[in-house]
Amino acid sequence: MHDNLSIRNFSLVIALILIWIFFGLMSDAFLGARNLSQLSIELAVTATLALGMLIVLLPGLIDLSVGSGVGLIGGIASVLVFQHHYPAPVAMGIAVLVALLIWRLMGTLIVRQHVPAFIITLGGLLIFKGLFWLVIQNATIPVSAGNTGNIYAALTTFYLPPIYGYLLGAGIFAAIVYGSLRARSQRLAHRFAVEEREILILKLIVIFQGLLLFVLTMNRFRGIPLSVIILGTVAFAVHTITRHTPFGRHLYAIGGNEEAAVLSGIPIQKTIVLAFTLMGAIVALTGFMQTAYAGASTTTVGDLMELDAIAACVIGGTSLKGGRGKVLGVLFGALIMASLLNGMTLLAISPELKFIARGTVLVLAVWMDVRLSRNTPWPA
Amino acid sequence: MPQLKIQNLTKRFPGVVALNQIDFELEAGEIHAICGENGAGKSTLIKILSGIYPVGSYEGDIFLDGQPATFLSPTDAGAAGISVIYQELALVGEMTVAENIFLGREPTRLGRIDWNAVYARTRELLDRYQLPLDPGARVGELGVGEQQLVEIVKALSQQTRILLLDEPTAALTETEVGILLNIVRELKSRGITCVYISHKLDEVFAIADRITVIRDGRSIATHQTAQTRPNQVIREMVGREITELFPRRPGNPGEVRLAVKNLTVAGTHRHRPILEDISFELHAGEVLGLGGLMGAGRTELLMFLFGVTGRRVQGEVWLNGKPYRGTSPRDAIRGGMVMISEDRKRFGLNLAQSIGFNLSLASLARFTPAFLINASLENRSNQALFEALGIKAPGLETAVETLSGGNQQKVVLGKGIMTEPAVIFLDEPTRGIDVGSKQEVYELINRLTDQGKAVLLVSSEMPELLGMSDRIIILSEGKIGGVFTREEADQEILLAAAMRHHHQKN
Repeated sequence: MHDNLSIRNFSLVIALILIWIFFGLMSDAFLGARNLSQLSIELAVTATLALGMLIVLLPGLIDLSVGSGVGLIGGIASVLVFQHHYPAPVAMGIAVLVALLIWRLMGTLIVRQHVPAFIITLGGLLIFKGLFWLVIQNATIPVSAGNTGNIYAALTTFYLPPIYGYLLGAGIFAAIVYGSLRARSQRLAHRFAVEEREILILKLIVIFQGLLLFVLTMNRFRGIPLSVIILGTVAFAVHTITRHTPFGRHLYAIGGNEEAAVLSGIPIQKTIVLAFTLMGAIVALTGFMQTAYAGASTTTVGDLMELDAIAACVIGGTSLKGGRGKVLGVLFGALIMASLLNGMTLLAISPELKFIARGTVLVLAVWMDVRLSRNTPWPA
Repeated sequence: MPQLKIQNLTKRFPGVVALNQIDFELEAGEIHAICGENGAGKSTLIKILSGIYPVGSYEGDIFLDGQPATFLSPTDAGAAGISVIYQELALVGEMTVAENIFLGREPTRLGRIDWNAVYARTRELLDRYQLPLDPGARVGELGVGEQQLVEIVKALSQQTRILLLDEPTAALTETEVGILLNIVRELKSRGITCVYISHKLDEVFAIADRITVIRDGRSIATHQTAQTRPNQVIREMVGREITELFPRRPGNPGEVRLAVKNLTVAGTHRHRPILEDISFELHAGEVLGLGGLMGAGRTELLMFLFGVTGRRVQGEVWLNGKPYRGTSPRDAIRGGMVMISEDRKRFGLNLAQSIGFNLSLASLARFTPAFLINASLENRSNQALFEALGIKAPGLETAVETLSGGNQQKVVLGKGIMTEPAVIFLDEPTRGIDVGSKQEVYELINRLTDQGKAVLLVSSEMPELLGMSDRIIILSEGKIGGVFTREEADQEILLAAAMRHHHQKN
């Protein structure tokens, strides 16, 4: 399936540029290396969770419980580390197992007992929030004891030394060049439409400049944050899973036409349970990153993150009815949401106005999408 | 002066010319049939006349009563007296007949819906056209034929002068078709002009004053019905002579692929058996026809064998010489069976996705050596099938929703064939597709049986059943009504077999 440079993609880029110009004019700090480094960590958290949401939205389901889940799973790991003195990797391993079990159970309830995902996960939202507060006893539990660092805290405090940043950037660019050339030659071999060679080269130049700019900016502060590398890995994995595995195709097929998917021999139940289990893994990862970013588990960690994740997906062109959505779009959607939050925090905008602005952007973005995608395909 | 005149109408879509300098004239008060294969441009023409494609999105002129017509929306067309009855009904099942008829135009008093007026005016309309409908009945509980009548009354309630009927009988039973044709005649006698679009030439010849044939987006000819014959119209629709309607090449039946022994099946939610004591054998290289009246259990038999619905009470199914105990479509496909459903949009296709996505969807495991789908392998198979089936589309990446019915059906067939089945269930494989595509489907059936595949063909069309089957089983009230060879069978014998258990019951 071919990524076209459509007006929709441009509209996201334009919206993003406008947001950045606005905050850049309002605050000198916004486009500074320090803030952009922070923003990239915040993006990593929002976008990772949104990529999990994509997996659940594609077959036409939804998960409202992820925000509470982020708090709960991060909280379990914190309590194990800080109060029970488990080594961080062990604590995180246990928390991941809990997340996998919970999300697997929710997936199973949805497919076996036919309770709608909306209800199961709405229940989850409330239950996990309660469990979270029980686990941390409404206290503030740091992610590491005393001043000793651990891998948990390092998730958002470790930065790649500059020289490795350049190497990583170069490696990624080489991989992108190799990947696009290989894809192009394969498409030519199958006589599929391909973009002009000049357009491809132009695209690669833009990507090169973007990567270079990113690495230079990050290196001016402390280097590329570990969490951004985690996001990149998750994004690549989710892209590969949704686009290049039978499981991923099945997600699109179920969301597009469930009855046809059944008659095509697609294992609907297995697919959905697996989708939710993957969501659990991503919730755990996001939980660790978000809690580490906050420095400690507190009762508000994860609040409303499910809505940011859904908003990022929808802004990025994912259909709530299922069957449509792409990783690249979700990343853009998450970048828009993260930029807004970061900019507003920087300007010390009151929480009341922040809520209103986030809601307005979500509605505006979807309205724009509906307007732009009203080009009816040609009929039979 | 014609009531409606279309001159040099051209409609382009990216990469396709859907209508190419069409001319068309409509006289006031006539019934004018438009015939053409799927993809000939009939639906596009309707969408222009009804304002779905607004003025400016096409080239050419439309004159209504001699004045240029410039519809920007379906509302404009409605205001000018043009209404459309679409193939797919647009009714709200939860609402009553009267509520549906006045949906969006409810008469109000003091801002509240005047329900007395809604029901009184519905009653009046139903009486005027003598339609046997209850204004207070819930639409979802009506049959398809009755729902169609509701659509027509809805159109008539808004001062319609020209009524466009797009394949109105596609989902109707014979009796309902009769009722519909009478209503169209009644409308004509009241001075309403009707444009009747249908594949079914017997209906067209029964009802139309004039017939216009379009092919590949061009107007080919307009005939007075009395002065032409079905063969000529078919020839003009297809653009070639169809010498043999059912080109069945009987094969050499081989070993038994599927054996059903004394099978009794209960409905998922009912206790009464829906199939009783069914036994038959299906051989490699054979087309076994499965006939019967509506509700005789044909689709239910396929659905049970394919693991979709039904519960086994007793009996056995043997597949390729081994007992078969599968309970899901997944088991069935793995065992080497595949089903092509009669409702391709609902059960067959992922409309928003590409042809390639749909073709390989049921066979992805074969292209996945480890974890990732091998795109080269997949595309090679897709491309080969795309060419073998002669799907008319720009390429594998074309979205299925943009294809004509016949080409969509080929994609569904292709998806089934890609799974390399030994046994193929075809449920009404030619429903709603045009003469030319039918021929291609029949030819495909021949090729499949030549390759040794076993085909179980369900069809409601007697000529198709007689013409394409090597043997025919007739179901009657869930039981076997008779088994016939191709030579033994004729329409009367099959009909008698289909009625057999009705007589016993009454």
